[in-house]
Amino acid sequence: MYFKAKVDKEKCNGCKICILSCPEPNAIKFDPSSKKIEIYESRCKACKICVVICPKQAIELEEK
Amino acid sequence: MSKRITEMCPALNDAMPTEYRELVENGPWLGDKTVKDLGTFKELLEEHPLCAGCNLALSLKIILSSLPNPADTIIVGSTGCSSLGFMQVGIHNIHSLFGNQNAVATGVKRVLSMRFPDKKKDVVVMAGDGATADIGLDMTIHSWFRGEKITTIMFDNELYANTGGQESGMTPAGRVAYMAPLGKKFPKINLFEIAKTSGCHYAVLLTTANTVRLGACVKKAILLARDVGPTYVQIHTPCPTNLKIPPEESIKVAKDSEKERYAFNEYVSEAAKSFLENTGNKK
Repeated sequence: MYFKAKVDKEKCNGCKICILSCPEPNAIKFDPSSKKIEIYESRCKACKICVVICPKQAIELEEK
Repeated sequence: MSKRITEMCPALNDAMPTEYRELVENGPWLGDKTVKDLGTFKELLEEHPLCAGCNLALSLKIILSSLPNPADTIIVGSTGCSSLGFMQVGIHNIHSLFGNQNAVATGVKRVLSMRFPDKKKDVVVMAGDGATADIGLDMTIHSWFRGEKITTIMFDNELYANTGGQESGMTPAGRVAYMAPLGKKFPKINLFEIAKTSGCHYAVLLTTANTVRLGACVKKAILLARDVGPTYVQIHTPCPTNLKIPPEESIKVAKDSEKERYAFNEYVSEAAKSFLENTGNKK
Protein backbone atom coordinates (compact mmCIF):
# COMPACT_ATOMS: atom_id res chain seq x y z
CA MET A 1 0.00 0.00 0.00
CA TYR A 2 2.62 2.53 1.04
CA PHE A 3 5.86 3.05 -0.80
CA LYS A 4 9.01 4.68 0.50
CA ALA A 5 12.32 5.44 -1.16
CA LYS A 6 15.33 3.41 -0.09
CA VAL A 7 18.98 4.10 -0.89
CA ASP A 8 21.60 1.50 -1.76
CA LYS A 9 24.68 2.88 -0.01
CA GLU A 10 27.03 0.80 -2.14
CA LYS A 11 25.91 2.53 -5.33
CA CYS A 12 25.51 6.08 -3.95
CA ASN A 13 28.39 8.39 -4.86
CA GLY A 14 27.14 11.47 -3.01
CA CYS A 15 26.44 13.70 -6.03
CA LYS A 16 23.43 15.23 -4.16
CA ILE A 17 21.30 15.54 -7.32
CA CYS A 18 18.45 13.79 -5.46
CA ILE A 19 18.56 16.37 -2.67
CA LEU A 20 18.41 19.18 -5.24
CA SER A 21 15.34 17.74 -6.94
CA CYS A 22 13.35 16.34 -3.99
CA PRO A 23 10.23 18.44 -3.29
CA GLU A 24 10.03 17.30 0.33
CA PRO A 25 12.04 19.35 2.83
CA ASN A 26 14.56 17.53 5.03
CA ALA A 27 13.62 14.17 3.50
CA ILE A 28 17.11 13.40 2.20
CA LYS A 29 20.09 14.27 4.37
CA PHE A 30 23.73 14.33 3.32
CA ASP A 31 26.33 12.81 5.61
CA PRO A 32 29.58 14.75 5.03
CA SER A 33 31.78 12.12 6.73
CA SER A 34 30.77 9.14 4.59
CA LYS A 35 29.74 11.29 1.53
CA LYS A 36 26.49 9.32 1.19
CA ILE A 37 22.84 10.28 1.50
CA GLU A 38 20.31 9.15 4.07
CA ILE A 39 16.54 9.05 3.48
CA TYR A 40 14.09 9.86 6.25
CA GLU A 41 11.25 7.52 5.41
CA SER A 42 8.63 9.29 7.50
CA ARG A 43 9.02 12.41 5.33
CA CYS A 44 8.98 10.63 1.95
CA LYS A 45 5.81 10.88 -0.18
CA ALA A 46 7.08 8.39 -2.80
CA CYS A 47 6.90 10.73 -5.79
CA LYS A 48 9.76 8.77 -7.44
CA ILE A 49 11.60 11.86 -8.69
CA CYS A 50 14.82 10.75 -6.98
CA VAL A 51 14.46 7.22 -8.41
CA VAL A 52 14.21 8.59 -11.95
CA ILE A 53 16.88 11.25 -11.57
CA CYS A 54 19.63 9.23 -9.81
CA PRO A 55 22.50 8.69 -12.31
CA LYS A 56 23.70 5.57 -10.45
CA GLN A 57 20.25 3.97 -9.96
CA ALA A 58 21.00 3.85 -6.24
CA ILE A 59 17.47 4.68 -5.04
CA GLU A 60 14.45 2.48 -5.43
CA LEU A 61 10.94 2.34 -4.02
CA GLU A 62 10.16 -0.20 -1.39
CA GLU A 63 6.74 -1.41 -0.29
CA LYS A 64 5.91 -0.83 3.36
CA MET B 1 21.44 39.72 11.05
CA SER B 2 21.15 38.10 14.41
CA LYS B 3 20.24 34.67 15.64
CA ARG B 4 18.26 36.12 18.52
CA ILE B 5 14.85 36.03 16.88
CA THR B 6 14.83 32.25 16.80
CA GLU B 7 16.41 31.53 20.14
CA MET B 8 14.29 29.89 22.80
CA CYS B 9 13.78 30.72 26.43
CA PRO B 10 16.10 28.25 28.27
CA ALA B 11 13.28 27.09 30.56
CA LEU B 12 11.20 26.01 27.56
CA ASN B 13 14.05 24.20 25.87
CA ASP B 14 12.75 20.73 26.72
CA ALA B 15 9.14 21.52 25.91
CA MET B 16 9.78 22.67 22.35
CA PRO B 17 9.16 20.21 19.51
CA THR B 18 12.16 18.52 17.87
CA GLU B 19 11.57 20.32 14.56
CA TYR B 20 11.83 23.72 16.21
CA ARG B 21 14.93 22.77 18.16
CA GLU B 22 16.56 21.55 14.93
CA LEU B 23 15.67 24.86 13.29
CA VAL B 24 17.33 26.85 16.08
CA GLU B 25 20.42 24.69 16.32
CA ASN B 26 20.99 23.79 12.68
CA GLY B 27 19.08 26.43 10.70
CA PRO B 28 20.62 28.47 7.88
CA TRP B 29 20.77 31.66 9.98
CA LEU B 30 24.50 32.09 10.25
CA GLY B 31 26.90 31.52 7.40
CA ASP B 32 26.14 32.02 3.76
CA LYS B 33 24.19 28.90 2.79
CA THR B 34 23.44 28.17 -0.84
CA VAL B 35 21.48 25.54 -2.69
CA LYS B 36 24.57 23.35 -2.96
CA ASP B 37 24.68 23.05 0.85
CA LEU B 38 21.20 21.50 0.95
CA GLY B 39 21.03 18.34 2.99
CA THR B 40 23.54 19.57 5.55
CA PHE B 41 21.31 22.06 7.36
CA LYS B 42 17.71 22.21 8.54
CA GLU B 43 15.60 23.70 5.79
CA LEU B 44 13.19 26.53 6.46
CA LEU B 45 10.26 24.47 5.24
CA GLU B 46 8.67 21.74 7.34
CA GLU B 47 6.45 18.87 6.18
CA HIS B 48 4.00 20.55 3.83
CA PRO B 49 0.56 19.42 2.60
CA LEU B 50 1.37 19.81 -1.12
CA CYS B 51 1.02 16.79 -3.42
CA ALA B 52 3.74 14.22 -4.05
CA GLY B 53 6.09 15.41 -6.78
CA CYS B 54 4.83 19.00 -6.62
CA ASN B 55 7.29 21.23 -8.45
CA LEU B 56 5.95 24.26 -6.59
CA ALA B 57 7.13 22.66 -3.34
CA LEU B 58 10.50 21.99 -4.94
CA SER B 59 10.96 25.59 -6.05
CA LEU B 60 9.69 26.87 -2.68
CA LYS B 61 12.30 24.73 -0.94
CA ILE B 62 15.06 25.94 -3.29
CA ILE B 63 14.05 29.60 -2.90
CA LEU B 64 13.96 29.37 0.89
CA SER B 65 17.40 27.79 1.00
CA SER B 66 18.90 30.44 -1.28
CA LEU B 67 17.67 33.52 0.61
CA PRO B 68 20.71 35.73 1.24
CA ASN B 69 19.50 36.90 4.64
CA PRO B 70 16.74 34.61 5.99
CA ALA B 71 16.46 36.17 9.45
CA ASP B 72 15.65 39.59 7.95
CA THR B 73 13.42 38.43 5.11
CA ILE B 74 9.65 38.78 4.98
CA ILE B 75 7.66 36.71 2.53
CA VAL B 76 4.34 37.94 1.22
CA GLY B 77 2.18 35.17 -0.15
CA SER B 78 -1.20 35.01 -1.76
CA THR B 79 -4.05 32.57 -2.16
CA GLY B 80 -3.32 29.42 -4.10
CA CYS B 81 -1.34 26.22 -3.73
CA SER B 82 1.69 28.24 -2.61
CA SER B 83 -0.19 29.55 0.42
CA LEU B 84 -0.64 25.97 1.68
CA GLY B 85 3.12 25.77 2.07
CA PHE B 86 3.56 29.06 3.91
CA MET B 87 2.18 27.70 7.16
CA GLN B 88 5.23 25.44 7.32
CA VAL B 89 7.80 28.13 6.49
CA GLY B 90 10.16 29.03 9.33
CA ILE B 91 10.48 32.77 8.63
CA HIS B 92 8.17 35.77 8.80
CA ASN B 93 5.43 35.60 6.23
CA ILE B 94 2.18 37.36 5.48
CA HIS B 95 -0.83 35.95 3.72
CA SER B 96 -2.55 38.63 1.69
CA LEU B 97 -5.86 38.77 -0.11
CA PHE B 98 -5.93 37.17 -3.54
CA GLY B 99 -4.04 39.48 -5.86
CA ASN B 100 -3.04 42.07 -3.27
CA GLN B 101 0.41 40.64 -2.60
CA ASN B 102 2.48 43.37 -4.27
CA ALA B 103 0.46 46.16 -2.65
CA VAL B 104 0.93 44.56 0.79
CA ALA B 105 4.64 44.07 0.10
CA THR B 106 4.95 47.74 -0.86
CA GLY B 107 3.55 48.81 2.51
CA VAL B 108 5.75 46.35 4.38
CA LYS B 109 8.87 47.50 2.56
CA ARG B 110 8.15 51.21 3.10
CA VAL B 111 7.46 50.80 6.82
CA LEU B 112 10.55 48.62 7.29
CA SER B 113 12.77 51.21 5.61
CA MET B 114 11.31 53.88 7.94
CA ARG B 115 11.56 51.76 11.08
CA PHE B 116 14.99 50.19 10.38
CA PRO B 117 16.81 52.66 8.12
CA ASP B 118 20.23 51.17 8.84
CA LYS B 119 19.28 47.50 8.41
CA LYS B 120 18.89 45.50 5.25
CA LYS B 121 15.44 43.96 5.10
CA ASP B 122 14.28 41.97 2.12
CA VAL B 123 10.65 41.70 1.08
CA VAL B 124 9.94 38.80 -1.27
CA VAL B 125 6.58 38.23 -2.94
CA MET B 126 5.80 34.62 -3.82
CA ALA B 127 2.54 33.91 -5.56
CA GLY B 128 1.07 31.70 -8.22
CA ASP B 129 0.25 32.64 -11.78
CA GLY B 130 -3.39 33.41 -10.97
CA ALA B 131 -2.47 35.92 -8.26
CA THR B 132 0.34 37.54 -10.25
CA ALA B 133 -0.88 37.59 -13.83
CA ASP B 134 -4.68 37.49 -13.62
CA ILE B 135 -6.25 38.78 -10.44
CA GLY B 136 -3.36 40.87 -9.13
CA LEU B 137 -1.98 42.08 -12.45
CA ASP B 138 -2.63 45.76 -11.71
CA MET B 139 -1.01 45.57 -8.26
CA THR B 140 1.97 43.69 -9.69
CA ILE B 141 2.58 46.04 -12.61
CA HIS B 142 2.00 49.19 -10.59
CA SER B 143 4.54 48.12 -7.99
CA TRP B 144 7.03 47.86 -10.88
CA PHE B 145 5.99 51.26 -12.26
CA ARG B 146 6.57 52.84 -8.85
CA GLY B 147 10.00 51.19 -8.62
CA GLU B 148 9.37 49.50 -5.28
CA LYS B 149 12.41 47.56 -4.10
CA ILE B 150 10.75 44.17 -3.82
CA THR B 151 11.32 40.83 -5.51
CA THR B 152 8.31 39.26 -7.23
CA ILE B 153 8.51 35.50 -7.72
CA MET B 154 5.84 33.77 -9.75
CA PHE B 155 5.22 30.03 -9.55
CA ASP B 156 3.75 29.40 -12.97
CA ASN B 157 1.93 26.06 -13.07
CA GLU B 158 -0.08 27.32 -16.04
CA LEU B 159 -3.54 26.84 -14.54
CA TYR B 160 -5.61 27.31 -11.37
CA ALA B 161 -4.49 24.04 -9.83
CA ASN B 162 -5.88 24.63 -6.34
CA THR B 163 -9.50 24.96 -7.45
CA GLY B 164 -9.61 22.06 -9.88
CA GLY B 165 -7.95 23.16 -13.10
CA GLN B 166 -9.51 26.27 -14.63
CA GLU B 167 -7.53 27.99 -17.37
CA SER B 168 -5.51 31.03 -16.34
CA GLY B 169 -3.93 33.80 -18.36
CA MET B 170 -0.64 31.94 -18.27
CA THR B 171 -2.06 28.71 -19.77
CA PRO B 172 -0.63 28.15 -23.26
CA ALA B 173 -3.09 28.30 -26.16
CA GLY B 174 -4.84 25.01 -26.89
CA ARG B 175 -4.23 23.43 -23.47
CA VAL B 176 -7.18 21.31 -22.33
CA ALA B 177 -7.76 21.40 -18.58
CA TYR B 178 -10.37 19.82 -16.29
CA MET B 179 -12.54 22.92 -16.37
CA ALA B 180 -11.50 24.12 -19.84
CA PRO B 181 -12.64 21.16 -21.96
CA LEU B 182 -12.55 23.01 -25.28
CA GLY B 183 -8.98 24.15 -24.86
CA LYS B 184 -7.72 27.65 -24.28
CA LYS B 185 -8.54 30.11 -27.05
CA PHE B 186 -5.96 32.89 -26.60
CA PRO B 187 -2.18 32.74 -26.11
CA LYS B 188 -0.17 32.82 -22.88
CA ILE B 189 0.44 36.26 -21.33
CA ASN B 190 4.06 37.28 -21.86
CA LEU B 191 4.62 38.71 -18.40
CA PHE B 192 8.38 38.49 -18.82
CA GLU B 193 8.33 41.09 -21.62
CA ILE B 194 5.85 43.20 -19.62
CA ALA B 195 8.27 43.13 -16.67
CA LYS B 196 11.13 44.25 -18.88
CA THR B 197 9.23 47.28 -20.15
CA SER B 198 7.51 48.17 -16.85
CA GLY B 199 10.64 49.06 -14.92
CA CYS B 200 11.99 45.79 -13.57
CA HIS B 201 15.76 45.90 -13.28
CA TYR B 202 16.17 42.15 -13.37
CA ALA B 203 13.83 39.60 -14.90
CA VAL B 204 14.45 35.93 -15.42
CA LEU B 205 12.52 33.06 -16.97
CA LEU B 206 13.44 29.55 -15.83
CA THR B 207 12.14 26.14 -14.81
CA THR B 208 12.61 23.73 -11.94
CA ALA B 209 14.80 21.49 -14.11
CA ASN B 210 17.98 23.32 -13.11
CA THR B 211 17.68 23.99 -9.40
CA VAL B 212 21.23 25.28 -8.87
CA ARG B 213 20.64 27.97 -11.48
CA LEU B 214 17.25 28.71 -9.91
CA GLY B 215 18.88 29.31 -6.53
CA ALA B 216 21.59 31.53 -8.01
CA CYS B 217 19.03 33.61 -9.95
CA VAL B 218 16.78 34.06 -6.91
CA LYS B 219 19.74 35.17 -4.80
CA LYS B 220 20.77 37.66 -7.48
CA ALA B 221 17.20 38.96 -7.80
CA ILE B 222 16.91 39.56 -4.06
CA LEU B 223 20.30 41.28 -3.83
CA LEU B 224 19.45 43.55 -6.77
CA ALA B 225 16.02 44.36 -5.32
CA ARG B 226 17.74 45.50 -2.13
CA ASP B 227 19.71 48.26 -3.84
CA VAL B 228 18.56 48.85 -7.41
CA GLY B 229 14.84 48.33 -7.93
CA PRO B 230 12.07 45.81 -8.62
CA THR B 231 13.02 42.36 -9.84
CA TYR B 232 10.96 39.54 -11.29
CA VAL B 233 11.50 35.77 -11.35
CA GLN B 234 9.16 33.50 -13.29
CA ILE B 235 9.47 29.77 -12.58
CA HIS B 236 7.71 27.04 -14.50
CA THR B 237 6.42 24.52 -11.94
CA PRO B 238 4.42 21.76 -13.68
CA CYS B 239 1.53 20.39 -11.62
CA PRO B 240 1.41 16.56 -11.69
CA THR B 241 -2.07 16.37 -10.19
CA ASN B 242 -3.92 18.58 -12.66
CA LEU B 243 -1.90 17.94 -15.79
CA LYS B 244 -2.24 14.17 -15.21
CA ILE B 245 1.46 13.48 -15.49
CA PRO B 246 3.16 10.91 -13.25
CA PRO B 247 4.98 12.75 -10.43
CA GLU B 248 8.37 11.37 -11.46
CA GLU B 249 8.02 12.89 -14.93
CA SER B 250 7.27 16.42 -13.74
CA ILE B 251 10.96 17.41 -13.88
CA LYS B 252 11.12 16.03 -17.43
CA VAL B 253 8.06 18.10 -18.42
CA ALA B 254 9.80 21.19 -17.02
CA LYS B 255 12.95 20.26 -18.95
CA ASP B 256 10.98 19.80 -22.20
CA SER B 257 9.32 23.21 -21.80
CA GLU B 258 12.81 24.76 -21.83
CA LYS B 259 13.00 23.87 -25.51
CA GLU B 260 9.99 26.00 -26.44
CA ARG B 261 8.19 28.60 -24.33
CA TYR B 262 10.43 28.46 -21.24
CA ALA B 263 13.91 28.86 -22.72
CA PHE B 264 16.23 30.37 -20.12
CA ASN B 265 16.07 34.12 -20.52
CA GLU B 266 17.69 36.68 -18.28
CA TYR B 267 17.29 40.44 -18.53
CA VAL B 268 19.57 42.78 -16.60
CA SER B 269 19.02 46.53 -16.91
CA GLU B 270 21.88 48.99 -17.41
CA ALA B 271 21.59 50.26 -13.83
CA ALA B 272 21.71 46.71 -12.48
CA LYS B 273 24.67 45.85 -14.73
CA SER B 274 26.69 48.80 -13.47
CA PHE B 275 25.72 47.93 -9.87
CA LEU B 276 26.92 44.35 -10.35
CA GLU B 277 30.18 45.58 -11.90
CA ASN B 278 30.80 48.04 -9.10
CA THR B 279 30.20 45.49 -6.37
CA GLY B 280 32.16 42.80 -8.18
CA ASN B 281 29.30 40.37 -7.71
CA LYS B 282 28.77 39.14 -11.23
CA LYS B 283 27.05 35.88 -10.37
